[in-house]
Amino acid sequence: MAQDAPGAVGARLSPKIDEAGLIRAVQRGDQDAFEQLVRAYDQSVLRLAVNLLRSQEDARDVFQEAFLRVYRSIDSFRFDCSFHTWLYRIVTNICLDYLRKRKVRKEEPAVVDTPEGPLDRMNDFEEEAAHADPERNLWNLQLGRRIEGALAGLTPRERMVFELRHYQGLRLRNIGEILGTSEEAAKNCLFRATQKMRVELGDCQ
Amino acid sequence: MNCESVVKLIPLYFYGELPPEEEDRVEQHLDGCAACGRQAELQRAVAAALDRREMAPSAALLAECRHDLMRAVYRDEAPAVLPTHATPWMHFRDGFAALFPPLLRWRTPLGAMALVALGFVSARFTLPGAGGSLNLASMAPENIISSVRSVTAGPQGAQSGEVQIVLDETRRRVVSGQFNDRNIQRLMLAAAHDENNPGVRVESVDILKSHSDSAEIRSLLLNRVAQDPNPGVRLKALDGLKMFTSDPEVRKVLAQVLLHDDNPGVRIQAVDALTSQADDNMVGVLQNVVQKEDNGYVRRRCEKALKDMNASIGTF
Repeated sequence: MAQDAPGAVGARLSPKIDEAGLIRAVQRGDQDAFEQLVRAYDQSVLRLAVNLLRSQEDARDVFQEAFLRVYRSIDSFRFDCSFHTWLYRIVTNICLDYLRKRKVRKEEPAVVDTPEGPLDRMNDFEEEAAHADPERNLWNLQLGRRIEGALAGLTPRERMVFELRHYQGLRLRNIGEILGTSEEAAKNCLFRATQKMRVELGDCQ
Repeated sequence: MNCESVVKLIPLYFYGELPPEEEDRVEQHLDGCAACGRQAELQRAVAAALDRREMAPSAALLAECRHDLMRAVYRDEAPAVLPTHATPWMHFRDGFAALFPPLLRWRTPLGAMALVALGFVSARFTLPGAGGSLNLASMAPENIISSVRSVTAGPQGAQSGEVQIVLDETRRRVVSGQFNDRNIQRLMLAAAHDENNPGVRVESVDILKSHSDSAEIRSLLLNRVAQDPNPGVRLKALDGLKMFTSDPEVRKVLAQVLLHDDNPGVRIQAVDALTSQADDNMVGVLQNVVQKEDNGYVRRRCEKALKDMNASIGTF
């Protein structure tokens, strides 16, 4: 039964490309090298932001802010951890700030009621779910509401750990390193998150 | 291993985060315990439901994010037109102070006036009166601009029908002089940076571009073509740089414009300027443009320039 997430981190440089060389080139001010480096990781960063924040606009802002921070502070990267971990530290910090701000101003639901009926704001995204079958669509809509509710019940940190493990496929040790905590603390966080999700979504079989 | 400890380990078991020996023990327990087996099944079902809800950002969103990012990075790197100790406002202030020395001590209030003197602000308002509307702007002398600072009831209170209006009035001055007057130049350099008024920027850059033999003005044009949010300003600035396409710094900036400017008109001007002379250093840039450019003219110009230089069109 043990498994990695279906979309386990795909953002890796082609083996032919020397990542350290690329980083040094960026540190020397080479913009083309920066573009190559961005392209190695940007899909997974955007996917993380979209999944976590459930908003294209916020995900866009996170993307921009994170990579600009990387660009402006890459001189301080000293190769004492992997670039992936360093980048994800930046991205997760920004995302956590967004999540915390939202908690304060009450999270916007992904499924909203309109005069024309319920509208799933996430329908703008490409989903794996089938669109043609109305019954299936209704089921997806209801499921969507419940999942949004379940996710909203997690603390920002639980949500981040869950996202990184379930959707990004990172190992808990790596997650702890990214979030500046221990593997054990990440484990506890994942346990609490899955417990809450099981309570909320237990009958979605 | 009892049921309580196994239930706690199920999420870690599901995500493959248990050491092999512990994983074996959990599996043995699940094989023999229907209740814990149902808990494991529940974990799988919840995970499957969440998988169905995963969002994949569209390719268009990713492309937009990449484009915006590289544009921002490029702007980060654009040459600074003015040294850090001389902001556009300082240029303006110095020019103004030189023209009107007695006003030097009013430097701070002049900050507000500066906007007016360059034609940024106009105020116009009406008050209802017995005989219809009262247009104070039309009553004021032509070179006075009025704006309301506050409106209060008169000393007798609102019932008395009396109101007290405090106006800020600013006198508009026309400053004229020769372009080679340093103070006039400073005012124009400041105007070329006025972020609130693209019209003033276009007019200023249009005049400044005729004097691009000055290094300071050329530096301003490079800054504007790279950073100005208004394509009209960028086009004017680019026009002023066309005589300097053999200057490596100008070519470097134009290459970035060609790669990253989102306005096809600006890219067309950039490609024309860059391909007016063969330059082996541009091969990589031109190949890059051929790969991602969606404007047919720009692409064809790059392809032709590459052919003329006997360079391959694609990268391998």
